[in-house]
Amino acid sequence: MDPALTPVLQAAGEAHHLATSIEGYVYPNEQNLLWSVLIVVYPYITGLVAGAFIMASLVRVFNVKALTPVYRLALLTALAFLVCAPLPLLFHLGHPERSYQVMITPHTSSPMAMFGFVYAWYMMAVLLLELWCEYRHDLVVWSERERGLKGALYRVITLGVRDISPAALHLDERLSKIITVIGIPSAFLLHGYVGFIFGSIKANPWWGNVLMPVIFIFSAMASGMALCVVLYKELCWFRRKAVDDACLDEMGKFLFYALLVDFTVEGLDWLHRLYAAEESISVLKQLAEGRLFNTLLVIQLCLGTLLPLLALGATQILPGRIPVWFRQRIYYNSAFLILVGVLAMRWNVVIGGQLFSKSLRGFATFKMGLAGQEGWLLSVGLIFLPFVVLGVLVWLFLPEPPSGPEAKETVAAPVAN
Amino acid sequence: MSSLKMPPQVSRLVLLTLGIVGSYLVARKLLVPKTFGEYGWYRGAALEENAAHKLVFAGMKSCDECHSDVLQKLGKYEHKTISCESCHGPSRAHADDPDVKTPKGMFADSDCLRCHQSSPSRPLWIKQVDPLDHYRGDKCTGCHVPHQPKETP
Amino acid sequence: MNHVISRRRMLGALGSALGWIASQPVAHAAKAAVQNLLASSHAPKGYDPTKHKWLMCIDVDRCIGCGLCVDACKAENHVPEASSFFRTWIERYIIKTPEPGGNEVRGEVLVDSPNGGRNGFPPSTVPREEILKSFFVPKLCNLCEHSPCAQACPVGATFDSPDGAVLVDSNYCIGCGFCIQACPYGCRFLNPETKTAEKCSLCYHRITRGLRPACVEVCPTQARIFGDLKNPVENDPVQEFVRKNKVFTLKPHLGTEPRVLYANIDKEVR
Repeated sequence: MDPALTPVLQAAGEAHHLATSIEGYVYPNEQNLLWSVLIVVYPYITGLVAGAFIMASLVRVFNVKALTPVYRLALLTALAFLVCAPLPLLFHLGHPERSYQVMITPHTSSPMAMFGFVYAWYMMAVLLLELWCEYRHDLVVWSERERGLKGALYRVITLGVRDISPAALHLDERLSKIITVIGIPSAFLLHGYVGFIFGSIKANPWWGNVLMPVIFIFSAMASGMALCVVLYKELCWFRRKAVDDACLDEMGKFLFYALLVDFTVEGLDWLHRLYAAEESISVLKQLAEGRLFNTLLVIQLCLGTLLPLLALGATQILPGRIPVWFRQRIYYNSAFLILVGVLAMRWNVVIGGQLFSKSLRGFATFKMGLAGQEGWLLSVGLIFLPFVVLGVLVWLFLPEPPSGPEAKETVAAPVAN
Repeated sequence: MSSLKMPPQVSRLVLLTLGIVGSYLVARKLLVPKTFGEYGWYRGAALEENAAHKLVFAGMKSCDECHSDVLQKLGKYEHKTISCESCHGPSRAHADDPDVKTPKGMFADSDCLRCHQSSPSRPLWIKQVDPLDHYRGDKCTGCHVPHQPKETP
Repeated sequence: MNHVISRRRMLGALGSALGWIASQPVAHAAKAAVQNLLASSHAPKGYDPTKHKWLMCIDVDRCIGCGLCVDACKAENHVPEASSFFRTWIERYIIKTPEPGGNEVRGEVLVDSPNGGRNGFPPSTVPREEILKSFFVPKLCNLCEHSPCAQACPVGATFDSPDGAVLVDSNYCIGCGFCIQACPYGCRFLNPETKTAEKCSLCYHRITRGLRPACVEVCPTQARIFGDLKNPVENDPVQEFVRKNKVFTLKPHLGTEPRVLYANIDKEVR
């Protein structure tokens, strides 16, 4: 066979393979999806960061005292997930070794460039600073008590500041409050910009609209709060401690309202699309009813939103009628469903937005392998990695309270108050 | 010299901040490419790099240097809008060294039909034929000379 | 450890740091201005990018769908052979006659681009009697005035060159794919070998040497019109095209202001 024919045959074979997965007409360059599961995982993780931080800020800024037991856990969760957030991006880049360019020649017109600075700001000026102010007293105490590597670590983190007089602690608290106040819009910015990355793409009618950042923010809040519910229960179970019922009830309440607002905003998006019926509505309706039927209508809408809304709504409307143990089952299971539903939402946005052609005339198909840069294994691993990091953080910074009369103390309460 | 006692937390944090910002600025000074920003928010050298790729097609001016007689004849007839390399293939290598042949010197019917096969999508100003109707079984070059399509060989 | 640090010293340190930061943009702008004067030092063989404004336009009535341009582009620019990477491609539009008795003015629209049109188009399965209108449309980078791709690039690896092309700096591109998502016309792709974004460069390496882009070179019917808007010579092809034709651009509602002008195009083209 003429070797010159090989690329031709290869192209023909590939063309046939693609042709069987293409419906209608897509631009030739759109036949393979560009952003895949890694770009689904990334907004999911940053959303969990933002949501967990908002949960913590409810204690500091809005003085929701009932949530105090989960305050530190929420902050550590935010940190664990924030640390892991850049990983899916680095794995996805064609040239990760050039990623530093985003920091040294950031193109200010690009939302993606601003990520580096928003992330750095949020990590350093908000999260780490807040954790430092919250933990400073304990760090000094622990650094004196612990020996070896652990003690050395605590000493380093104190930055050499060993003053734990009441005046210093009072300053810590004031600083913490200021940082949290700055932190709330920063958390909105951290995840809102992710929504804006999609919302700014006017070329794609599924992505490019005004509500996208808002939808991302509120679904992030719901997912982050749900994560706190799940983690709090798990940690209590792991340490064989009783959960604080009032704390869980309060978390359930905020979870319900976060989900309600999220549902409203997403509903508003669809309502507007269907009513205005712009040129893209035909292909988008076909997308929702066809390739996205399972992930959008079944998983995201029914399982991830409507079912938890009904269940959580029942606990809000009829709290007295539902026994505590059943309420807590509802919180836990609804939280799980919300976590799955929000992941499905990220999938529907990222993958869904690439499943139809910008020619508005056709659809591609998304195929995922097991291994490789865009395979299942890596993405599942990256979703679980933050939990491993959180485990280390909990071991370091959420020690079990001493046994004795205070044994009934809840598992994650701050030592200093 | 008046001195004010700054709380240790604040002074440590301010120092840390200055350290971080300072190292960022130093890194930026060292790492930003030299030609960045010459014309806009990009490396000026990228223009030259984009212009430095090797040529594959020669362009009709190159063909004219040696084959001007063919081009003169071509320019009189219907195929005057076609450049040499449309049919003969990328010929930069041949222009650099005439001993190297152009990619295509022999032509089959499919080469003519590529443009002249009848199709409802083709505009009517171009002459189109249905090979099953138009002198089926005969070669195109039996009646047509590619450089002067209306001439018979 | 001495915690007493004079306020004056602290403010002094902060002030000088801020002053240095503030002076950077000014210093940078001054440097850029000086370097602009020496622009030609980086241009190939005395080529001055500020003296040209290249443009390609399309006359849809002249395209016969032979696909020679797609093939030439792949050869000239070493575009990956696979059928899912194209810097330029041809689309065939078939507009069917409307259903009898129905309300429609025109019938169903079918679009295809088998292997980008590289080997021409196989005969359509739609019978001739059912075809109301059919034509070919070459597609390429639309050379937008307000390029959404350049706007989206986080590092400055894709940009509008001073002479009218939209180029990719493949030594600086990080391969994030944001520009590819931002392009409304589907003209960009991620090269699987270099892992950088790639697109029609207007054959920059040819036009800076006074040659025509490969696609223009091989087009047998002058459907692709290429020239220099700043050409002092009167009969520049693209200047004539602009004078002669009423034109359309693709997706004007997006505000990208494409400079590639299409003459004799149909409303169904996206």
